[in-house]
Amino acid sequence: MSDSSATSYVFRPPAERWVSVSPKMAAARRVTLTFVLVAFLIGVGVLAALKIPRWIPGVALIAVVVIGGWVWWLIGRRVRSFGYAERADDLLVTSGIMNRRLVIVPYGRMQLVDVVSGPIDRLFGVSTVQLHTAAATTDATIPGLLPADAAALRDRLAERGEERTAGL
Amino acid sequence: MVPSEFVGPHRSDAQGRRRVHPLTPVVHGLRLMPVLFVIAVSVLNSQAKAGNGGVLLLVVGGIVVLAALFTGVQYIAWTRLSYFFDNAGDLRIDSGVLSRHERRIQLSRLQAIDVVQPLVARIVGMAEVRIEVAGSSSKAVLQFLTAGEATALRSEILARAAGVRHDAGEAPENVLVLVPAGDLVLSLALQLRVWALLAVTVLVVGITVVSSGPAGLIFLVVAGGVPIFIVFSEFAKFFGFTVAESPDGLRLRHGLLQTAAQTVPPGRVQAIGFYEPLLWRRRGWVRVRINVAGVASTDQSSGNRAYTESVLLPVAPWPVAIAVVSRILPGVNLGDLQWQPAPERARWRAPWQWRTLAIAVSDSVLATRGGWLERRTCLVPHARTQSLRVTQGPYLRALGLASVHVDSTPGPVRIHGYCRDAVEARDIAEAQSDRARRARGTAGPARWLR
Repeated sequence: MSDSSATSYVFRPPAERWVSVSPKMAAARRVTLTFVLVAFLIGVGVLAALKIPRWIPGVALIAVVVIGGWVWWLIGRRVRSFGYAERADDLLVTSGIMNRRLVIVPYGRMQLVDVVSGPIDRLFGVSTVQLHTAAATTDATIPGLLPADAAALRDRLAERGEERTAGL
Repeated sequence: MVPSEFVGPHRSDAQGRRRVHPLTPVVHGLRLMPVLFVIAVSVLNSQAKAGNGGVLLLVVGGIVVLAALFTGVQYIAWTRLSYFFDNAGDLRIDSGVLSRHERRIQLSRLQAIDVVQPLVARIVGMAEVRIEVAGSSSKAVLQFLTAGEATALRSEILARAAGVRHDAGEAPENVLVLVPAGDLVLSLALQLRVWALLAVTVLVVGITVVSSGPAGLIFLVVAGGVPIFIVFSEFAKFFGFTVAESPDGLRLRHGLLQTAAQTVPPGRVQAIGFYEPLLWRRRGWVRVRINVAGVASTDQSSGNRAYTESVLLPVAPWPVAIAVVSRILPGVNLGDLQWQPAPERARWRAPWQWRTLAIAVSDSVLATRGGWLERRTCLVPHARTQSLRVTQGPYLRALGLASVHVDSTPGPVRIHGYCRDAVEARDIAEAQSDRARRARGTAGPARWLR
């Protein structure tokens, strides 16, 4: 198989397609990015006020703008790359653009399901669902779900987890 | 003084609550002694030189008061510490000086139970019992009981966890392996990091001696001691390592100054790893480590401690290691495993270990192999699979490869199938998820002798 078709096989959804997350998550993360960029711009302003060669703050400004713009665009892509799918016995979560990941979490192994949302997330109306198993390395986090969807997903997962719970 | 209501061999009262040994505050105080001693000596030293008699007295007085205060607080803690078995058969430990702390230990989730004798406690014949349960990041510790009481409590906990009568007594055991001291010393000395440290030390000392003369020799004594100290402290931890089998599970005993007796009930071993460092290969030695759920990994005070307690065999010849593992995981024969090696193009991503990289699947376990300087072979029983991951960074994507990971409980053993063919990687993960589901359905009961 060619590269891209091999990759699309590896990260293929079990059914028609992955359930994607809300684009509002991208907006929420971009707001956080804005705060960070403002802080950096203030730093550049401070640099400009000091008695140093004019080109240093100039370069810093360009760097902040370029990198900020790149991260802005990247946020959109990252949020679009998240997907999940519920199967009969397990949950699949995929994410990542450069470093692609797929996690398979069996319902019977779920110990804890958390729904988390920080202040900016709440403003935009999105939450994050976090799954925990007995393993510390399980990395099943689904950001950008609408609160109703997140709560419904958590309840479904908890119910299926209890049905299939199998000790340790 | 023990309040009169706590009587009998367990110092238990009418409701079955038990107290730990009355000497406990004293033992806690004794453990503080070395620290206070060092402080006292250094202070006395400096003050005696300066000739400040008054300050001297003040400092010594202060230290005495501190020690007394500490022992007093420990006495109060002792009066407020009690443990008992509740109606459901679970162990409860109540403690706390200012605020009440009630802990419930579900014996169905018991992972391991250790009887440890720190050096000071050992001198007075005391021991502490450490209980590890799944899902908890910290151990429950009961300090201090006499050595006999501690062993009896361990037997009782194991009997209850197994579902037999709690006064069944200690289960018989069958010793499988006793690691000889000579092999242990040699194996610890034959570690690359010890030699690397030694080389660095010699280099640094050489430079120091050349540049500043005899002062460098003193530095040699101090700095050269570090590799020796490492070897000695590991020797003291693993001295007399004995592995025994009993209906309770695996019993591991080890220790020179501080002794420990660990019990791992059946079916609690989550993953097993065989580690073969470069310098051990000529002798055919291997170290076996296990993951046991409930052993805290990184949030312990000293990161290394958790890993030494996950060692099944610090050093053993391959046939012995395989024989011991086959008692824990019946039906696993390392020799029968059909290894599927990584494709050749993996050499571009892992130029040194690509030849070793391989995965094998048998009826009961999934095994991975890898490593260059230290070769590792890791096994996970299908029923103990937690979650599965497939990852692919940009480099692997360009090579048409991906890595498969089987997640297990925190511990030294990690199961990674690096650099597999990309298409195959997804299939491996899905197939393993299937096998894990079927194996979970037939896994053994939590109370194993009922």
